Amino acid sequence: MQEADLHDLSDDPDYAASQQQALGRSLYRSDSAKSTEMDSGGGGGSETVYVKDNVAIHPTQYASERISGRLLLVKRDSSLFMTWIPYKLSVGGTDSTGRSSNAGILEKDRKLYTIKDVPLADVHSIRRHTPTLGWQYIIVVLSSGLAFPPLYFYNGGVREFLATLKQHVFIVRSADDANVFLANDFQDPLQKSLSSLELPRVVSVANGATLHGSVGALSSVENSERRNGDMQIATSSSEYSGRNKHKLHDPARDISIQVLEKFSLVTKFARETTSHLFRENHNNDSSIHERKQLDHKPSSASTDTQKISSAPVAPDPLEFDKLPLIWGKQRQQPLDVKEWVCFLDAEGRITDSKALRKRIFYGGVEHSIRKEVWKFLLGYHPYDSTYAEREYLASVKKSEYEIIKSQWQSISPAQARRFTKFRERKGLIEKDVVRTDRSISFYDGDDNPNVAVLHDILLTYSFYNFDLGYCQGMSDLLSPIFYVMEDESESFWCFVELMERLGPNFNRDQSGMHSQLFALLKLVELLDTPLHNYFSKTECLNYFFCFRWLLIQFKREFEYEEVMRLWEVLWTHYLSEHLHLYICVAILKRYRQKIMGEEMDFDTLLKFINELSGRIRLGDILRDAEALCVCAGENGDACIPPGTPPSLPLETASLYPQQDQDDI
Amino acid sequence: MSYAYLFKYIIIGDTGVGKSCLLLQFTDKRFQPVHDLTIGVEFGARMITIDNKPIKLQIWDTAGQESFRSITRSYYRGAAGALLVYDITRRETFNHLASWLEDARQHANANMTIMLIGNKCDLAHRRAVSTEEGERFAKENGLIFMEASAKTAQNVEEAFIRTAATIYKKIQEGVFDVSNESSGIKVGYGGIPGSSGGASGSSAPGGGCCS
Repeated sequence: MQEADLHDLSDDPDYAASQQQALGRSLYRSDSAKSTEMDSGGGGGSETVYVKDNVAIHPTQYASERISGRLLLVKRDSSLFMTWIPYKLSVGGTDSTGRSSNAGILEKDRKLYTIKDVPLADVHSIRRHTPTLGWQYIIVVLSSGLAFPPLYFYNGGVREFLATLKQHVFIVRSADDANVFLANDFQDPLQKSLSSLELPRVVSVANGATLHGSVGALSSVENSERRNGDMQIATSSSEYSGRNKHKLHDPARDISIQVLEKFSLVTKFARETTSHLFRENHNNDSSIHERKQLDHKPSSASTDTQKISSAPVAPDPLEFDKLPLIWGKQRQQPLDVKEWVCFLDAEGRITDSKALRKRIFYGGVEHSIRKEVWKFLLGYHPYDSTYAEREYLASVKKSEYEIIKSQWQSISPAQARRFTKFRERKGLIEKDVVRTDRSISFYDGDDNPNVAVLHDILLTYSFYNFDLGYCQGMSDLLSPIFYVMEDESESFWCFVELMERLGPNFNRDQSGMHSQLFALLKLVELLDTPLHNYFSKTECLNYFFCFRWLLIQFKREFEYEEVMRLWEVLWTHYLSEHLHLYICVAILKRYRQKIMGEEMDFDTLLKFINELSGRIRLGDILRDAEALCVCAGENGDACIPPGTPPSLPLETASLYPQQDQDDI
Repeated sequence: MSYAYLFKYIIIGDTGVGKSCLLLQFTDKRFQPVHDLTIGVEFGARMITIDNKPIKLQIWDTAGQESFRSITRSYYRGAAGALLVYDITRRETFNHLASWLEDARQHANANMTIMLIGNKCDLAHRRAVSTEEGERFAKENGLIFMEASAKTAQNVEEAFIRTAATIYKKIQEGVFDVSNESSGIKVGYGGIPGSSGGASGSSAPGGGCCS
């Protein structure tokens, strides 16, 4: 064993604890973590059945920024665990992004990505990608729906890995997709019982999870106290699992303290703002609740569950000390033409793009100038371009668009008959554009020419980016752009720019979505640990209930005009490229009381979140999100894996490597 | 409104086969050709009566595109009934049934009742899948089968209700443990079935979850 070149995480109890929480694993697991440490030192009851070096994670799209490490399968108490530990030094140690604190970022990434002792019992499936060209990789998806980033086998060996797995756990090839292997696929009751016999820890998790719902004799208060008790025990045992015993910190508390400190610091500098963010949140929660009861018939979600909101809810940690916390800044009026022209110099350059972005961040833009401003925000027009340059660009890009468009237009019916992929794609787009925003007058009515333009742009895009193609949700993203631009070619190129950032949302393996859902999990853990713990307990950590929010940038959650406002704010990337994730956190925090008080399970929560559509107050949520983003600071950044959409790719390598198995 | 039982349904099938239209026809009794495509999942609900008992159907209408399968799979959990829909005018939507069924079998409760629906039967002149083929597929796979039209409402009511009746019968026969929510069935207020014999064992949860 080449212990020397491995980054030993045993001196990092903070990380070990956070990993356990993140994976939603049992509190009991901290014991197993402890035994791992002992095993790796002395070799107790565990046996390493598989070791593979040079298995890497690509935090960004680029292989040059990979983090290499060692993949292990360890058998302990007849259960199998998977571990991936990054090497201490990254290969080559280079950072092509030119980011500053190189070592810090790598260190942070390593912590973020390390996979520690994941029981194979928690694995739902493993998707393998063994393209004829390029590196082989696997994606491990947990039963919770959480997926780890792809693990690239630089020296090959995916087949061997799967073969080894097969010797120890029950995996079957999915009938649906030959590249997917299902673990724990208990069609067979015998397998099921065998497996549960072999997995005492999993059984205890299940007991813990069902305790609350099934044991009527215990009051929920007692239950939650009991759980809190467990938590403390777990935390303390993870503290001792480290080798450096002087580092006796509770990571969660550390973070909360930092957050609170940051908050009070901000407060000092912003005395003029008087609102108390999180206290008001709380008040709003109840007022919204009351209003709903007055205005609407009782929501079906609450009648379905037929539970009264009596469960004790852990307080919001950010509300804890009742510090005089600030709101995000008061929102301003949208940028109007008069103000807009002040940002332009005589030749049409935007001299201070940061000031412009800040201005738009706090107020959006008036509709009349969206057509112009969005092109900058989306990156289609460079900020330092002149009027003349932009005019030239438009004409060049128009003919370029026509060329790409003519590629599919020239496909004859006879050719199409022999081109299934094209027919399928075209058919799908045809079906979807007539189901996109037809209630907006711009797109309504029979044979609306604007609908035909949506079709043409999407089909042209699927030729421009054949690997990504077309996926549902894209028409939702295109619709407001064309509504604003009113020009086919300009809309196409703006859409292209948007897809540079959001394209990974539509990757077939859902990698872009998974990385956002993962980041969201981490952010909630940071900014509302009790809510995180609640989601963990109720097996909601896959965050699938936020799927629609993320996939199409809240397009279905707000009125059309508000969607455009929100998008232009997001596109400024003023405070963060990932403000949308803070918006998710802000919405969840607004309803935390209801979610936890009514003890929503996954189904109820999903329905509840779906029914929030049209009820979220954009201005308030943006202010909350801003405050959360400022509050989380670097800790927030650290929650978001590099390359998480909508981060812009830095090179233009093959962006969609998994598409080799695409069938549409 | 009170109900004796709540059944969770899930509607699955290829994109564009008319899942959302079937739901709307069933819940609102109208056909809306112009509606937004489904992203993720949408919900609908309606009360029906079976054996003089009010039963609430909570229906999950899912996105059909292949890319979203991994998300859709998480919705199967706890469904008591599924409507597996294809479009009789598009052969490929019929060809994909096996893969949908595979998903359902893998991720849903083993006792889930599955109704196969050949939708758009009003478009008989464009038919690409014969009724017999639908029947045969259903028979081979142990599904209930109907051709329906969300547009004309033909068989829509029947499809949802027949599925519910089958589930209800399974409860009466004690196939389901209704106290277990993963069965996709919840027992509602005052709906404790008295005559079903001991097998369903539902008296305890009736009191437990609703008071």
